[in-house]
Amino acid sequence: MEAVRIRLEQIHKTFLHRIKGEVAAVQNVSLEVEPGEFLTLLGPSGCGKTTTLRMIAGFERPDRGRIFIGEEDVTDLMANRRNIGFVFQNYALFPHLNVFENVAYGLKVQGKNTADIDREVAKVLELVGLTAYARQFPHQLSGGEQQRVALARAVVIEPRVLLFDEPLSNLDAKLRVYMRGEIRRLQKALAITAVYVTHDQEEAMAISDQIAVMNEGRIVQVGTAEELYLRPENAFVAQFIGRINALPAKVLTVADGTVTLSLFGRSFRLTAPPDGLAAGRTIQVFIRPEAVTLTRQAGSDLLRGVVVDRTFLGEKADYLLEMDGGRLSATAYDPLRHGTFAVGETVGVGIESGVIHILKEEEK
Amino acid sequence: MPDAVAALNPSDRLRRMFRDPLLLSILIILWALLALFIVYPLASLLIRTFTDEGRFSFAGVLGILADPMQRQALWNSLLLGTLVGLCGTVLGFLFAYTAVRTNLSKGWVFFLDAAVILPLISPPFTTAIAMIFSFGPRGLITYDLLGLTSVSVYGLPSTLFSETITFFPIAYLTLKAILAGIDPTVEDMAFSLGSSRRRVFRTVTLPLAVPGIANAFLLLFAASLADFATPLILAGNSFPVLPTQAYLQITGMFDLKGGAVLSFVLLVPAFAVFLLQRFWVSRKYYVMITGKAGAKTEIKSVRPWMRHLLLAVCLLISVSILYFYVLLFYASIVKAFGADFTITWKHYHVVFTEGLQAIRDTLIIAGIGMPLGGIYSVVVGYVICKKDFVSRRTMEIVSMINYSLPGTIVGIAYLLVFNDPPLMLAGTAVIIIACYVFRYGPTGIRTTVAILQQIDPSIEEASSSLGANSGTTFRRITLPLILPAFFAGLGVVFIRSMTAISATIFLISINWTLITVRILEKMTELELGVAAAFSILVVLIVFVVIGAISLFLRLFRQPGAPDMANILGG
Repeated sequence: MEAVRIRLEQIHKTFLHRIKGEVAAVQNVSLEVEPGEFLTLLGPSGCGKTTTLRMIAGFERPDRGRIFIGEEDVTDLMANRRNIGFVFQNYALFPHLNVFENVAYGLKVQGKNTADIDREVAKVLELVGLTAYARQFPHQLSGGEQQRVALARAVVIEPRVLLFDEPLSNLDAKLRVYMRGEIRRLQKALAITAVYVTHDQEEAMAISDQIAVMNEGRIVQVGTAEELYLRPENAFVAQFIGRINALPAKVLTVADGTVTLSLFGRSFRLTAPPDGLAAGRTIQVFIRPEAVTLTRQAGSDLLRGVVVDRTFLGEKADYLLEMDGGRLSATAYDPLRHGTFAVGETVGVGIESGVIHILKEEEK
Repeated sequence: MPDAVAALNPSDRLRRMFRDPLLLSILIILWALLALFIVYPLASLLIRTFTDEGRFSFAGVLGILADPMQRQALWNSLLLGTLVGLCGTVLGFLFAYTAVRTNLSKGWVFFLDAAVILPLISPPFTTAIAMIFSFGPRGLITYDLLGLTSVSVYGLPSTLFSETITFFPIAYLTLKAILAGIDPTVEDMAFSLGSSRRRVFRTVTLPLAVPGIANAFLLLFAASLADFATPLILAGNSFPVLPTQAYLQITGMFDLKGGAVLSFVLLVPAFAVFLLQRFWVSRKYYVMITGKAGAKTEIKSVRPWMRHLLLAVCLLISVSILYFYVLLFYASIVKAFGADFTITWKHYHVVFTEGLQAIRDTLIIAGIGMPLGGIYSVVVGYVICKKDFVSRRTMEIVSMINYSLPGTIVGIAYLLVFNDPPLMLAGTAVIIIACYVFRYGPTGIRTTVAILQQIDPSIEEASSSLGANSGTTFRRITLPLILPAFFAGLGVVFIRSMTAISATIFLISINWTLITVRILEKMTELELGVAAAFSILVVLIVFVVIGAISLFLRLFRQPGAPDMANILGG
């Protein structure tokens, strides 16, 4: 089957909350998922990502806006008419049916004959490695196995799109990493458009072609993992994807595509800043902890900081530094080779102009 | 976010009801039935109680309260209820604690369960008859063993004893569930903080079980208050209680109004218990918040000697219960218990000749009531749990009324309204069946609701995402999942049809009679052997049916489906 595009046009959904009254769960969300693409809706709990997914599936109806799967406007179609595969957070396996019957359910509903059903279910069970479990019941399976049944059940009906609602959140850490690889492999093998919901940014970055970051019912940025990490467009994305220092800096001069900033008492010259910066204004700049370099020899060209806290994590160590004019988080990799710094130690702090990020938002 | 969805506002709900004609017609039928068989009889009873020659009046109630004999009956009922509540709860707690907190082997737990279940499935007179065989003027213990001749078995002590044995299983099942729900790691925590076993019991286990204990007490109080059969046999003239007084008022003096008023007096404490349970106890339950289930811990609540002591006490009581049943069986196969111990089958001969009509009628009524009760429970449970409609809460409460009321009240209320045209149903099988369905269906309703609440909405959504429409989803997913509730509703209606008497004794006629009523008649005619034989027969039939239903429930591989024992306790 040809992979299809999913398109959301200005969709909006309000719920009536018992205590808070009307809550806009999703506000004017527009989104395009290219055919065969794996897109993740990423955001903190309550940001509207699950509601958005459930509207694509047809479990909720948007108050406003249209939803297209392929060229078809499915806004008014019930879930059972949309030809989707949905994988639930709690798997939602039918407890009274065994693995085979669970997977065969969708095919039976389509009215396929027994021979076809047997063949297609067997094929899918082999794909997810559960052939030996066909006669087992859901409660006899481990979490990871249940997850794979849910996956098999969703793909066996050859849906136009695959939708995942935090499918890995009930698994332990190792299995989660393994299963996300499996899901990605399956999606690629089937060349099917997929929308995936998670609050785990690492999971999102590992699995997706594109990530749509959501906050308070809106999509705040769409991009690849790299784009979101390197070029966050707003403070929310900057702080949600990875860890980041948000620091106040004073604009000294703006001229010919460069800007000079004052930070920790030093001046930094940045090229290609966003438009609209004015000399004299204080703006927020962002620096990733891992972009800061720490050295023992504090040369005169380096900033100085005192280590106030240290967390040793094996392949890296996180430091909190007291600088002249504020605190700074820094991460040093490979402590085996470079050694670690002790709390109370004064260290040299290297910040290159290239790692200082100014948000486009600062355009005023 | 979906869990934040609140109910629709009433006008939206009303509009939606009219868009779903199937639901609307089901609701209309249900409300018509509930109005006819629950609201209307109860309302008539109240009207009859509070009117005098067409005008509102307290004269009836005041007249009863002025009568010292009836006042005594009210007092006795409350006293008996309280005592049975206390004794039964203590006994039930003892059994429950022993069963779930002393690391008993599966075999022992099964034995305790089996001994405890016997009184639950027996016709109401069984322990009363066995009491007479044991402690009566010619009793096995009083006369044959101790040589006493002038003891009277009738009165408060024997009634209390008999009712406690009959009803404590309800407390056992309630408390067993509560105690089993207390995570042993919570006790471990208290141990780790330096508490002794006794202190842990006093400061952790017992406080957590308090809501369950309160609930068990209320259930037993209500059961005793409503019990008609035991006092009728054992209370005697010196210890009148309300249900028997109401019965005698109607059958002895043909005073329907007096009976109605007496049963209203009974209704007040029964209703108080209902309210306490619904709005107080149910809110007091603690929810065990223990996060993710950790490693299973060994239960260390009691010391070994304590464990043996508890087990010994439970065994003693279980053996006494079994002794009662053996005695009952023995009495059914000897010529005249207490006088002539020659083995004979003549009592069974009577049962299968003269008693055949009662057996046939009972089985027909139970057989028809059974599927109706099952369907009624599942339909009501489904709509009140899954559908959003105007009057949903009201329907939930109304459907429980006949279940919560003492049988005597229901029986008298039915007698009041179904004795005259246009609803001349008294004397027909219809009215007896209706009585059972609406009185015992609620157990199935509650099972349906409990199961449906366990089914995550995403299961139905999963079916929908796989292309199934709502009809297919209901047929293939929801219905199979609530099938155990159907069997539960069906089973309870059958068992109670075989064993109940308090309501239906007012509804039998020449054309339709019941085994339980025949047992009562044989008791009053002092044909105790025949009464015993009837009782044994009922116990056997019920056993077979419960066995069949349990087997069915097991075949329908439902994780989390209730087993038959728990259903009986509810």
